[in-house]
Amino acid sequence: MLRRAVLQTFRQGLAQSFFKRNAVSLSETTVTHQPIETSNEADEKSVSKQKPGDESGNTVVVAPPEFRFMYPEFLPDPAMERRNRLKEKLERIDMLQRRSVVEIPEFYTGSVMAVTVADANSPNKFARFVGICIQRGGSGLRAWFILRNVVDKQGVEILYEMYCPLIQKIEVLRLERRLDESLLYLRDALPEYSTFPLDMEPERRLNNSVVPINPLKVKLRPRPWLERWERQNLQGVEDLNLPQRFYDKAEKVAKPWEKYDLMLQYRKTIPAEEQEKIFADVHSQLQQQEFKRKMRRRRGTDNEQ
Amino acid sequence: MLSIVFHKRRRLVRRLFFNHEQVRTMSRVKRRTTHPPYWHVLKNNQRQDEKISSDNLRFVREVIQDKYKNKSPIKGSDLDIEKKEWDPKTKRSGVIARNIGVQHMWEKDGKKVVCTVLHVLDNHVIRYVPPEEYAKSIIGAKVFRNRKPLGCLVVGAEAANPDRFTRQYCSLFNEVGLLPKKRLARFIVTPNAVLPPCTPLTAGHFVVGQAVDVYGKTIDYGFQGVVKRWGFKGGPASHGATKFHRRGGTIGTGRDKARVWPGQKMPGHMGSERRFCRGLKIVRINMKYNVIYVKGTVPGPTNSIVQIFDTLLPRRKFTEAPPHPTYFPPEDGTLPQEDIWDSNMHVFGSPSIPV
Repeated sequence: MLRRAVLQTFRQGLAQSFFKRNAVSLSETTVTHQPIETSNEADEKSVSKQKPGDESGNTVVVAPPEFRFMYPEFLPDPAMERRNRLKEKLERIDMLQRRSVVEIPEFYTGSVMAVTVADANSPNKFARFVGICIQRGGSGLRAWFILRNVVDKQGVEILYEMYCPLIQKIEVLRLERRLDESLLYLRDALPEYSTFPLDMEPERRLNNSVVPINPLKVKLRPRPWLERWERQNLQGVEDLNLPQRFYDKAEKVAKPWEKYDLMLQYRKTIPAEEQEKIFADVHSQLQQQEFKRKMRRRRGTDNEQ
Repeated sequence: MLSIVFHKRRRLVRRLFFNHEQVRTMSRVKRRTTHPPYWHVLKNNQRQDEKISSDNLRFVREVIQDKYKNKSPIKGSDLDIEKKEWDPKTKRSGVIARNIGVQHMWEKDGKKVVCTVLHVLDNHVIRYVPPEEYAKSIIGAKVFRNRKPLGCLVVGAEAANPDRFTRQYCSLFNEVGLLPKKRLARFIVTPNAVLPPCTPLTAGHFVVGQAVDVYGKTIDYGFQGVVKRWGFKGGPASHGATKFHRRGGTIGTGRDKARVWPGQKMPGHMGSERRFCRGLKIVRINMKYNVIYVKGTVPGPTNSIVQIFDTLLPRRKFTEAPPHPTYFPPEDGTLPQEDIWDSNMHVFGSPSIPV
């Protein structure tokens, strides 16, 4: 009974948190409901819900539902042929070990980040690259993200593996989301949408609890394009202004039944019960690491003063 | 590799062999069977739809538990046989493990390395077959036809409920008093590396940095066409090609031998074959979870069973004595180091690599 209650609250929390976190941009303050605490506030208020016990009388710790979005690489690849619980557990231990050394902050596609990597060929021995995250993927230690920037009128994209030990520092300069999960269309967009100054300073967030969604609609360059953007249901792109035949062909090729295909969704995702177990496993260590980092930062500023 | 073939009219014709796999023409030999060898005992029980009451079921479980009470694991000091010295010609026992997946790790200079994770299951030695007896068996006679015979250790892994096996299969484990195992394997050992029955084999049997050979059955691709199975190029995708995109093409000449040669590459069953991956280096051993990380990939899909043993490649064999005949946990109760890494690998908890 209690188990079901716990699951229900977790799943409700998943749905609610999705809507709450995807609040509209900072300019429109319509956040009337309770803000969801992010990892920053997690140590201040105990977000981890302590459920009043299971049969054995021990408290059951449930991780906050936002972890599914903040740490998606902890969820394994859903393909059943290649899943093994022991291997996933060992991989998670290794990931936490690496995270204890380097801070891998929360970020989404559309956030502007700076990554410092040890590079033998650069004069400083460290290479720092600033860019917008256009895509993110992989699970476990294979997790990666792509940063894009335009340097000297040349578009540059770099794929970074999140757990590579050559990475010295990952900073999030601007934490925000966009209307799409993948911003590959920036390759065909006007260069100003992908240009970010290489000496950009980290921006302070006004409202720490909610990750803003940037409703920017990007203008694309005239055709030819790298992909058929009209077939991809992009939200973050301005009206493509294509001849009608493109949209007709897109309709012919479209698979509108996929949104009703429950088994397809099931095969692509990890079920909620398993997600709960995985994050419950991992979240206490992540919280401890966050707390230690905060203390170190505070002590650092105190020393400076 | 150049090979010189003498033509009929004594002209030297050079033929270049590109793919050594293709040299292995096993056209006349049957490569796979779906049934075990005829001398094996019938293993699995037909699932009977027995309507047993829950009380009786509980009683049956109690009986099983009583019969297979936990045997205390054999310690190093309990070995009946005199501890024989290790010498470079010793062959130690191998181990049955499960391939649980692939993990990326990094070396100390930042180079990424793809490692296979092998989970050593609950291995126990079942019995020892001495050299004279093994040489009389069917397989033993083949293996030691012109050689001095060696002994063989029967090792079992993955204990299971005796209900699912036949009585004859369970009787194989009666002497040892262990729960019947799902998997059995034979490892050829020299007499000085013999282990008594009921000895557990763990991940500590191996040493970090050593080379191992892994035997497994490759991924079963089923009936495959000639392009995937043999790497043929097929035909053009367009330019008017009629029904010739992934076919084999010609299968022989008309003049020389007016027939199709045996071993001609054609579509057929691909995969599910015994293969050895030789000389894989062990980069990490986790003693707590009994897991070995091996550099490279291993035959077989994820979650398949493989056998691991010390390599037979001459340049990568042991120079110093390994845990011989196997690893036993220290008797003074001190726990071994949980996670042992190769000196070349970057440990995840250590600071980032500067250049």
